[in-house]
Amino acid sequence: MKLKYSLFTRRQFLNGLFGGWLGALMVSFLYPVIKFVFPPTREPDQVILPFLDFKDMKPNSVKVFSWGSKPGFVKKNKNGSYWAFVAVCTHLDCNVTYIPEQRKFFCACHDGWYDENGTNIGGPPPRPLRRLILIIEGEDLIIKREGVK
Amino acid sequence: MNLLGKKKRAQSWFDERFGISGIVKFLREKKIPQHKHSLWYYTGSAIMLFFVIQVITGFMLVFYYNPTLAEANKSVGRIMTEIPMGWIIRSIHSWSSSFMIAFVFIHLLSIWITKAYRKPRELTWMSGVFLLCVTLAFGFTGYLLPWDDLSLSATKVGTDIPRSIPIVGVWVTKLLRGGEDVTGDTLTRFFGFHVCILPVFIFILLAVHVYLIQKQGMSLPLAVESKKEKIQELPFWPNFVYRESVVWLILLGILFTVAIFLPPSLDKSADLMAPAPEGIRPEWYFLFLFQALKIFPAKILFINGDTFIVILILVEFLLFFFLPFLDNKPAEMKGKFITFLAYVTIVYAVVMTVWSLL
Ligand code: FES
Repeated sequence: MKLKYSLFTRRQFLNGLFGGWLGALMVSFLYPVIKFVFPPTREPDQVILPFLDFKDMKPNSVKVFSWGSKPGFVKKNKNGSYWAFVAVCTHLDCNVTYIPEQRKFFCACHDGWYDENGTNIGGPPPRPLRRLILIIEGEDLIIKREGVK
Repeated sequence: MNLLGKKKRAQSWFDERFGISGIVKFLREKKIPQHKHSLWYYTGSAIMLFFVIQVITGFMLVFYYNPTLAEANKSVGRIMTEIPMGWIIRSIHSWSSSFMIAFVFIHLLSIWITKAYRKPRELTWMSGVFLLCVTLAFGFTGYLLPWDDLSLSATKVGTDIPRSIPIVGVWVTKLLRGGEDVTGDTLTRFFGFHVCILPVFIFILLAVHVYLIQKQGMSLPLAVESKKEKIQELPFWPNFVYRESVVWLILLGILFTVAIFLPPSLDKSADLMAPAPEGIRPEWYFLFLFQALKIFPAKILFINGDTFIVILILVEFLLFFFLPFLDNKPAEMKGKFITFLAYVTIVYAVVMTVWSLL
């Protein structure tokens, strides 16, 4: 069927066609570029450490381990139990330190404070330190992300 | 044929191909107005001076610097101790960046206060605001490259700030860091920003900025413009350029003096697993922001303190960027108020900076 009137001229139609094609081409170029600049970095699901290294820790002290590319703390509590934290401030990502005398975690970047349970108690940190699940299995100390089986 | 004739011939040979006689003629006839605010006209070329020094010393440093986790700190150490004159080249690069940024601030504030961005110079101002951003980005990326404890913590904080921007923030942080966390990849990436990507941007923006200034000529302050009488003018070549050279020489003297007597330090290599060192602070031009991050409480009206600050900064940036359009009645109450805001900004920045140093 031949239409009496058309909504656009042949020139407009072709411009639209080529424009659309050019746009699609650009998007298809952009896709690999975007993929390329964001490398796949995933947090580990779990790390397994020899328990021997942590056995002799004094109560009320921490020991650093590598949680992916950031530090984690294994903390031995006063009653002898073990906890694990991601040792990174919840404010703007600085590495925190533990001060045994005050039984507090401290972040030097903007003077952020957490109590010995990792709860934020002073300064700008908006959330408690992130806890990790810690299991002692024979010789192994297994540290897992929450929600990982 | 005598020598003079040969020179003429060579000139016209080139001119036939390049067509630069127009530019030469333009520069010969360019005039710089003289009035009580003309001092500010020198700030632009002072920035240029420090920029050229940055380019030259940057080229030199890149001969020895290694942008990798294992080598970065060592290679800077080598520049400082083994390479002949290395310490002074690094010191000049470091000091000249501070001088450049200081003059960028002065340049911008002087334009804000004298309202030199008035029609038709809106685009000159906007390209200038972009130049400010690129300059600060140079400073921020350069701060990480020596890879010591201080620079690592500053980068962790700085790249985490965009995370609070709704939706896109997380991706900005990832893009800057090359992953979730600051790692060796971040260092290599920052090096790429510092020596490849930002230079391309700054050259393009500078070309636009300088072209616009030449096209429109120097802006006159309101008070001078409204007076009907004719103002004095100084030929750009050679009078104004000679005066600029005097300023350059003085600035060079100051720069070399501080660079020789106060070279920047270098701490031990950063350790990704070590706690942030006490007394961390960014470069002086980010101190006002650093202090704001420190004093803002964790929660303001149900949102995080740092989200609040980031949104505030974005809004301020937009207002700043569109200032020439907001300040459309310079002679009236509104214009006076906007000038007043410039002074408020200065006071605010100085107070916060001093406070952060206490
Ligand atoms: S990063 Fe820890 S308080 Fe800001």
